[in-house]
Amino acid sequence: MPLVLPDVALAPMIPVLLTLLGAVLATVLGFFLPRRSVTYVSLATLVLSAASMVWLWNQGLTAFGGSLNADNAAIAIGLVLLIGSALALIVSLDGAARARLSFPEFDAMLMFAVTGTLIIAFSGDLVTMLIGLEVMSLSGYVMATLQDSRESEEAGLKYFLLGATGSAILIFGIAFVYGATGSFNYAAIAAASSGLSVGNAPVLVAGALLLLCGFGFKVALAPFHQWTPDVYGGAPTVVSLFLSTVVKVAAFAGMLRVFSGALHNAPSWLDVLAVLTAATLIVGNLAALFQTNFKRLLAYSAVAQTGFLALTLLGRPEVGGPALTYYLLIYTITTAAALGIVAALQRTEAGFEISDMRGLYYRHPAYAVALGVCLASLAGLPPFAGFYAKYLAFQAAFQNGYTWVAVIAALMSVAAFVYYLRVAALMFMPDRTPAREYDGAHFGTRFTVALGMVGITALGILPNLAYGWVAYPGIWTQLAGT
Amino acid sequence: MIHFFIFLPMLASLLLLLVPVRWREEFAGFAAAATLGLGVWMWAVGGVPTISIAWLPAVGVTYSVGMDGVSLLMGIVTALMSFIAIIYTARRIPNPGTMLSLILAMETGLLGLYAARDLVLFYVFFEDALIPSLLMLAMFGKTHRMAALVKFGAYTLLGSMLMLVAIIGVKYLGGSPTFALSDLLAHPVKGAAQTWLYLGFLAAMAVKLPLFPLHAWLPDFHEQNHDSGVADVMGTLYKVGAYGLFRFGMTLFPDASLELRPVLMSLAAFTAVYAAWIAFRQTDWKRLLAYAGLSHMGLVGLGIFSMEPTAVTGAIYLLAFQNVYTGALFLAAGMLQERVGSLSTRVGGVMTGAPILAGVTMSLWFASIAVPGLAGFVGEFSILLGAYQVSPWLAFIAGLSTIAAAIYALSAYQTTYWQARPVGAVKLYDLQHTEWLVLGVPLAVCIAFGVWSAPALHLIQPSVSVLQLALTGGGS
Repeated sequence: MPLVLPDVALAPMIPVLLTLLGAVLATVLGFFLPRRSVTYVSLATLVLSAASMVWLWNQGLTAFGGSLNADNAAIAIGLVLLIGSALALIVSLDGAARARLSFPEFDAMLMFAVTGTLIIAFSGDLVTMLIGLEVMSLSGYVMATLQDSRESEEAGLKYFLLGATGSAILIFGIAFVYGATGSFNYAAIAAASSGLSVGNAPVLVAGALLLLCGFGFKVALAPFHQWTPDVYGGAPTVVSLFLSTVVKVAAFAGMLRVFSGALHNAPSWLDVLAVLTAATLIVGNLAALFQTNFKRLLAYSAVAQTGFLALTLLGRPEVGGPALTYYLLIYTITTAAALGIVAALQRTEAGFEISDMRGLYYRHPAYAVALGVCLASLAGLPPFAGFYAKYLAFQAAFQNGYTWVAVIAALMSVAAFVYYLRVAALMFMPDRTPAREYDGAHFGTRFTVALGMVGITALGILPNLAYGWVAYPGIWTQLAGT
Repeated sequence: MIHFFIFLPMLASLLLLLVPVRWREEFAGFAAAATLGLGVWMWAVGGVPTISIAWLPAVGVTYSVGMDGVSLLMGIVTALMSFIAIIYTARRIPNPGTMLSLILAMETGLLGLYAARDLVLFYVFFEDALIPSLLMLAMFGKTHRMAALVKFGAYTLLGSMLMLVAIIGVKYLGGSPTFALSDLLAHPVKGAAQTWLYLGFLAAMAVKLPLFPLHAWLPDFHEQNHDSGVADVMGTLYKVGAYGLFRFGMTLFPDASLELRPVLMSLAAFTAVYAAWIAFRQTDWKRLLAYAGLSHMGLVGLGIFSMEPTAVTGAIYLLAFQNVYTGALFLAAGMLQERVGSLSTRVGGVMTGAPILAGVTMSLWFASIAVPGLAGFVGEFSILLGAYQVSPWLAFIAGLSTIAAAIYALSAYQTTYWQARPVGAVKLYDLQHTEWLVLGVPLAVCIAFGVWSAPALHLIQPSVSVLQLALTGGGS
């Protein structure tokens, strides 16, 4: 029997390998260098990884017989992941010491998580996806627990238990899909699912729904979202920033690959997703209305944003894919800027109360205006980028016949607007009491916030700068790698 | 040049932060005057045809702007009243930099909205005008502003979000390649879908118009705003609902407009009478003005919804000049507050202390209650004349509101400006410095266009007849 060598191609793996190198370097160099230097090294590998992705654009390379795809969809989302990771690292330069997180293991964990997220985005079959997901999740659990505090431990444990449940369900779903189609490969699943026998179809449906539940845990779709406010609210703010942006983007990348790619011919998951999306929109937005802590409010707002993001998956891939990527990019920079501001101004890791924000404009005008812009963008007000993100999401759902979900999303936007507005309005109300914030801002946070402002405004006024790159339908009709 | 007209105020608003504090007022005034000048210049050259640039080509969003008759009229009125508001702000509000900046930012939103010939662009400007007005209320409002703010924001956004879904639907169901108005008109949506989309669109416009029962934000919004009335001037400029219905609503949804005409006309007539009735009971000038404005908007709605050329022309005329005199009246209420320290309608005897303020205010009120020879009359008369041909009874009911207006306005005026001055009241001073300009210019405009309405009518009528052509073409 001749030995068949595996199809190992190095080029499409370079972005992933570079972040892995960063993770290893952070682990090793941590013994010799102070943490700041390690962070700079990590940032450098992120930049190199991004550069390699730009180089891979339009080349459509694959490795391991299609198990790893460096197609344009992977690169577009991979770049968003790298932006979010870099912003988290930059903010951590300022806040980590105060949050008692300033040791190289933080960087190592973060870089391992980034590696996992990239593997998800580049995945070409379910097993690769699962490996990426587990690498990402395990690092995430550690990051949430890394700080020596009760809240952090509780958040980490909760995240671990529910995350593990989610993974278990996901693996179960993978098994079912394999049972129904006989393959882990996205392209093979997509091919097999269009012509299934009567006996196999129910198995595939069950597998798809289990996968949906598993991913529901990971991206925080209602009713699988309960861990989110506790974890995002209890973890150190820098970690919340990372979890609510990068990890969520990666989980959505996985959903996009699996559902819009491999399973796009499979029956019935779309309607279930529509119901889950509507539930998420309602639960997330209404719960956020009643929060008094700003960090928890942002956590619930992250659940609500999940609902808007999931709207894009209801659309056909060629409309939903670019909408999802654009939304993820905007969501990442907006959330990073908002949580960066929280990290800079908070007195404790619990964030601050909404009532403490009264008159922020008169104490820290730049931060108040920036936070106002973030909130306006999250609420979807033009001319900020959040408007187009939301618009594209509505459009994707509407054009695929899910008008009712789009209408619910529109109504829930009003609830969202009310809780964002309350915070924003408080900031601009005159107030003469002494400052309640800690101005721990340094260059890193300011840089992140400034970058967020430029991005939110520029991409709001000229959305084509980002959307134009990903708007070609061809990128998104080949999600399964066919 | 049209882009400059739209974005000059926004540019000035941003630059204002860099201008030294002592020059800010002059700078803002100059920018507003330049914008007004550009508007008048465009009027002189007969408007600007629509310019269209691809904005988000993959989705079909274009940056299409144009300034034809009705847009131009509304744009010039907006520029005029923004200019007046800036002059008054500079004198009245201490450290006016932020307020001036917000006024200018809002002016861009409003001008853009009148110029927009693309539905998404219209939506963008529609929301852009919202942010500065929310900030004005948050930063300069009174004690209970939070409730007013949330109410105003929630109502407005509820409408606009439904409109956004309708906007997506209009393009997708009609099969139009872009959101530009001309493309959408070439690919109309037919049948029941049109009615649903019109209802979505109407949700946004009825909140802004405002039409009963979506009007509840309006009185609180005006009551809780700063005493000077500057924010209210911008609030009255905000009544873009009628314009949106005129420009987009009736052209894109002609069948649905006809189908819903009886209901909408009834609601509008009811709004007019109902608001006038509530205005009777008000003891706060700003609330009174808010309800008076609401009543007028009911008449405007009646005119627009009737889809009868005379009435539509009258509605646009009223819409434009109601901005002028109601805006000026809000500023006059601010001047009253500055002198007597309250906005109550029970002050008494202001006439003896400040005769010129009293006289000018009365003249403006005459414009508001449609005394012939002032601008309000032309609009209201045309609306009732046209609406009568569609529905005599509704025209009659709505007509009652003009009688009611005379009563509530004059009785409130009587108790404030006439009657006896309370013993020991503070000594009043009369109009001074720029206040002459702030009230005088709007009054002059009201008189000029009350006596000689042709220039404004020449701007309105071509657009109305184009619309009428579209309606008869689409309705048959």
